[in-house]
Amino acid sequence: MSEYTPFEMIAFTGSRILEDEKIVFVGTGLPIIAAMHAQLTHAPNLYMIYEAGSLAPILDMGMPLSVGDTRAARKACYLKGLCGAFELTQRGCADYAFIGGAQVDMYGNICSTIEGKNYDKPGIRFPGSGGAGAMAANCEKTIAIMALEKRRFVKKLDFVTSIGFGDGSPDYREKAGVMGSGPYRIITNQALFGFDEETRRMSLLEVKPGRTPADIQELVDFELVIPPDVKDMVEPTDEDLRLLRDVIDAEGYFLKRVIKK
Amino acid sequence: MNSVSSKIKNISNLEYKEKKFEYWGPTPDESRKLMVNKSHALKDKTMTLKDAVAKHVRNGINLGIGGFVNTRVPVAIIHEIIRHGATDLTLSFQSNSICPELLAGAMILDPDRVSIKRVELAWWGYEIIGIAPMVRYLATNGIIEMDDYTNYGMSVRFKAASMGIPFIPVRDHGGSDMELVNRGKMIECPFTGKNVYLLPACHPDVGIVHTSAADVYGNARIFGAYCTCPEIAMAANATIMTTEKIIPTENIRSYPNLTEIPFPVVDTVTEVQYGAYPGASYGNYWFDMDHLKMFRSICEDFRKTGSKDALKKYYDEYIFGCENHDDFIDKIGYKTIKKLRDMDGGQPIILT
Repeated sequence: MSEYTPFEMIAFTGSRILEDEKIVFVGTGLPIIAAMHAQLTHAPNLYMIYEAGSLAPILDMGMPLSVGDTRAARKACYLKGLCGAFELTQRGCADYAFIGGAQVDMYGNICSTIEGKNYDKPGIRFPGSGGAGAMAANCEKTIAIMALEKRRFVKKLDFVTSIGFGDGSPDYREKAGVMGSGPYRIITNQALFGFDEETRRMSLLEVKPGRTPADIQELVDFELVIPPDVKDMVEPTDEDLRLLRDVIDAEGYFLKRVIKK
Repeated sequence: MNSVSSKIKNISNLEYKEKKFEYWGPTPDESRKLMVNKSHALKDKTMTLKDAVAKHVRNGINLGIGGFVNTRVPVAIIHEIIRHGATDLTLSFQSNSICPELLAGAMILDPDRVSIKRVELAWWGYEIIGIAPMVRYLATNGIIEMDDYTNYGMSVRFKAASMGIPFIPVRDHGGSDMELVNRGKMIECPFTGKNVYLLPACHPDVGIVHTSAADVYGNARIFGAYCTCPEIAMAANATIMTTEKIIPTENIRSYPNLTEIPFPVVDTVTEVQYGAYPGASYGNYWFDMDHLKMFRSICEDFRKTGSKDALKKYYDEYIFGCENHDDFIDKIGYKTIKKLRDMDGGQPIILT
């Protein structure tokens, strides 16, 4: 088996999670790559929503570099604007939200607005919610990509941008007025997380071969639910890597990025 | 104060100042009155962009910016606003890159010419190209006030305004810190008895949009994603429109279903080819990643070093050194434009 990079592992794992005959509302970058890989392998009838306004495009001009890229509108079935895209979601047509973020907590709430405690003068201002807050609220299941670091898997977020299970109480989402069922998977290159049905806390589902649950817990600032049957993550085959590297992101826009420390 | 809320306070860690509710632009009643008193004649609204901006852009307005991130962004209008000057601006948009960055850069160079007071938004950045240095600088230092919504939230706030209603219920924002800091409000739905979040309508004083094609009256077609351009144009007290191509009204009347922005809400029309450059216009040209990267890196250098020299050079060359957008495109040159046309690949649009 060939060597693979962290980004390739994330994109491949994202692809594995997406089921056929579903609709995924994608964010820029690895979510698009994961959905394209799924379409080329096990989920040929998976469709994408791009928030600028397109549903189920055929990406025959290549991978869109952003969710607003004009290529994301190529040969769509339905092409409106942001209201159209998000109203499909609010109506219940989007099975998955596929987003990223800067920090996540044990209940799958995600921050992408600021770092620091003061909203009016934060430590760092990030771009903001964009579509993520609406996707996490009203797509049926939320999948998020995150770098596995202690400063990102935190006990308390600086700002709750995208709703997860809130404080973990059973009616948090209902009281918030949102409709989707909430966090489903958190993907990192070394571990795949789900959420415990009873407590709604983040649980460890799979680890990269060679890693132990204890290794993963070391990189997380809150206590994970660690069930007895943690599995090994499936690794991408040579064919998967060929699709990712030569077909989907042949220019290396996302997969060849250098990770900044 | 809200009598109803989600349970966000159980988890929020945030320090913020309570805002007393006010519309950050015209109220729904003011905007209705203005629309009623506007001429609704089917008349030729074409003029130069210089005249259009001079006629409608003043200090202290709420400027609604069309497009989405790098797509169909009204750059030609933004350049003209910078040449004209406008201070104390409130900006409203869902997600944008170079338009607010250009205004912010102009503010850093000369706050007496252009200044931003506050921004109601969902997202400000360049996506693949990186974070937007100017918002990071201005917001991190508390120089501009921010008011955060989701992309749906901002879009549907313009939509509420376009529908002539003062607010709209949505199923997002609740349970996030946006519920605490933005100007929406949680209520108990009078019909279901469950919590539902309300967002105030957003009426810009001036909406700026770039469209694929329009007639001289302002009936406009948009190909590719609409973004939130129809809603912004409908919501604004005045709409300044640039369009890739002016087409005969006869064509508009042949396929009236294709009209996404109707003439009564449009105040000025200017044909500006490449009016979204360095952003993209579906069916015409792709975005110019190299130019966006170049401008972004100039802004990033300012953020890191505090030196304004390169920034000033960019504005002198590409904005103040140009009478109009044709001059700007001349400086970009044929080869670049040709490459971007090829990258678009001739996505199908209908002009007939």
